[in-house]
Amino acid sequence: MRDYAAVAARLPDAAVTHEARARAMHELSRLGWPTSRDEQWRYTNLRAFERVPAFAPAVLTRAAHDTAPALELPPALPGFERLLYVDGVRAVTGAGVAAPAAGSGTVWPAEQRFGLLCDMFASDVAALRIRGSSAIEVLFVTSAAAAGAACYPRLQLALEPDSQLQLVERHLGAPDAPSLVCANVAIELGRGAQLTHYRLQQCGIHTAFTDTLSAQLADQASYSVRQVAIGAACARTSAQVQLAGRGAAFSWQAIAVGRGQQVHDTALKVDHRAPDTRTEEVFRGIADERARIAFSGHIHIAASAPGSDARQSLRGLIEGAGAEIDLRPRLEINTDEVKAQHGATTGALDENLMFYLLARGIDRATARALLKWAFLGDVLRAIELPQLRSAAEHGAAGQLPDILAIGALT
Amino acid sequence: MSTDTDAGTNTAAASAAPSPLLEIRDLRVKVGGQEVLRGVSLVVRSGEVHAIMGPNGSGKSTLAHVLAGRPGYEIISGSARFEGRDLFALAPEQRARAGLFLGFQYPVEIPGVNNAYLLKAAVNAARRERGQSELDAFEFLSVVRAKIKLMQIDESFLSRGVNEGFSGGEKKRNEILQMLVLEPKLALLDETDSGLDIDALKVVANGINTLRAADRAIVLVTHYQRMLDYVVPDYVHVLARGRIARSGDRTLALELEKRGYDWISEQAAA
Repeated sequence: MRDYAAVAARLPDAAVTHEARARAMHELSRLGWPTSRDEQWRYTNLRAFERVPAFAPAVLTRAAHDTAPALELPPALPGFERLLYVDGVRAVTGAGVAAPAAGSGTVWPAEQRFGLLCDMFASDVAALRIRGSSAIEVLFVTSAAAAGAACYPRLQLALEPDSQLQLVERHLGAPDAPSLVCANVAIELGRGAQLTHYRLQQCGIHTAFTDTLSAQLADQASYSVRQVAIGAACARTSAQVQLAGRGAAFSWQAIAVGRGQQVHDTALKVDHRAPDTRTEEVFRGIADERARIAFSGHIHIAASAPGSDARQSLRGLIEGAGAEIDLRPRLEINTDEVKAQHGATTGALDENLMFYLLARGIDRATARALLKWAFLGDVLRAIELPQLRSAAEHGAAGQLPDILAIGALT
Repeated sequence: MSTDTDAGTNTAAASAAPSPLLEIRDLRVKVGGQEVLRGVSLVVRSGEVHAIMGPNGSGKSTLAHVLAGRPGYEIISGSARFEGRDLFALAPEQRARAGLFLGFQYPVEIPGVNNAYLLKAAVNAARRERGQSELDAFEFLSVVRAKIKLMQIDESFLSRGVNEGFSGGEKKRNEILQMLVLEPKLALLDETDSGLDIDALKVVANGINTLRAADRAIVLVTHYQRMLDYVVPDYVHVLARGRIARSGDRTLALELEKRGYDWISEQAAA
């Protein structure tokens, strides 16, 4: 809060209005910092966030654009317009995208309270309103110049009725910087709109990363998320999706791969409020060494949502002796006419699969690597953009070095 | 070939025959605390085809799996030698590379690992073991193509996940394809005929017959004799209550077809 008072006057009104920033600060004061006693925050490494030395955005302490040319950016995706944000601030002006509009902030519930931090400190916003059909890559890059400071990527997206968007949201970071990346994503899908949202989190290994996502779907809207979480010392995704319109469909397919002492924690809540709405959640997590991976998938089906269909498949693979995986499926159903199924399993590699490969003469190390690769395969194959899939595969393989040796990458 | 219960079957021939490919002596194995194999002895020489038959629960699959090195089996006593080497001292992958192949009754599905990758990795592991150079992608394809055709498998299958979404028959054909590509010295085929319709059975049998050669041996584990109409064995053994209760030639299988297994099980219990 002291950090906020010190910089409040210098935060740009164009990203978030000062009134909204002040409201967010008061709300966070009221809620307080989360504690591990709270079930929704139990598996997050809160100490990593508490240890952030300064919450003031990096951009206020230096000129962000100075470092932009030195950054090594991934190759452009064919057919995609790229928006580049360095340390939370737009670095290159793209054409054809609506100019940023001041955000009013979102009403974040307690389990998404890190969203309030981004509302308070955001230095810029990628505000997109889509009509027709588009493909956009939003690249949030943090530079070494942001070391010891914080960055607040912010994405506000509205799809007009029957529009279509392929969106790539990618977080890349220098190894040492910054201390905190705190992102907000707010999405509204109009009637019949279709959004495919690829999310790659490849922040630096010393960064505490959190992203808070809210999505509202109108009638017949369709929202597909493909998320790959690889980077950061500690990463927390807090997502809430409201299926507010009849026939709205939501799909979340995600992998998290952790090693060392990394922590990846996701809390996803889906609210079925309208009839004939659908959810499909697939999560695959691999925890190597002493990593900790948690996924909480809460699906609430309201009395007003008969005909809903909800499916969850959560699987965790424990590779390291000191690793931990916590999967928490939760279906809360308040109407009779629903189809719902969920499965959650955590364990070591399947011995039957292992023996099959060994019985073909494949050595144990290769067999293990192959099976880990296969474990992630469902979700990686769902990334339909070849270049992005390759980036995600190499990112995941970088976390599991034995996979690099087997030459299975596309 | 000799067993503990078939005195005189071919002991004279054995003395002049080449050294055994596989020699099992008085093998006793426990699974889950229960003794499933209770003293099995069997000798298999190159060029031979053996059928191991028996009722459900007689230990047929246990024998195949314990030879291939599946974990979860406790070897109480006895030995198994493969080309003179102590089989039980080798890890499963070493046994495979040495030339022992297990065709699974229930081949597992491994989505995300494609058939081509598995086949190539398996072939090259065996080649490295033999001191041969690894096959490159082109050489590998030329080896595999003819065999795929023989097994009446579509080439697109190579890029599919291992057994992913395959029917029971396709899985069995895939097992035989793997066997043909790997060219093992000893193929242990565990109920490869189960779940096959007659057309698939013929394709599978044809594949197995292709592998018959003077320098290889095949052990067919089967419940029914119908497979043996197509892959004619040199020797038939009946496993009952964890022991080879009777051995003979092909006519034994035909007799079992007529009379069932009860009479042998009763003799074994006596």
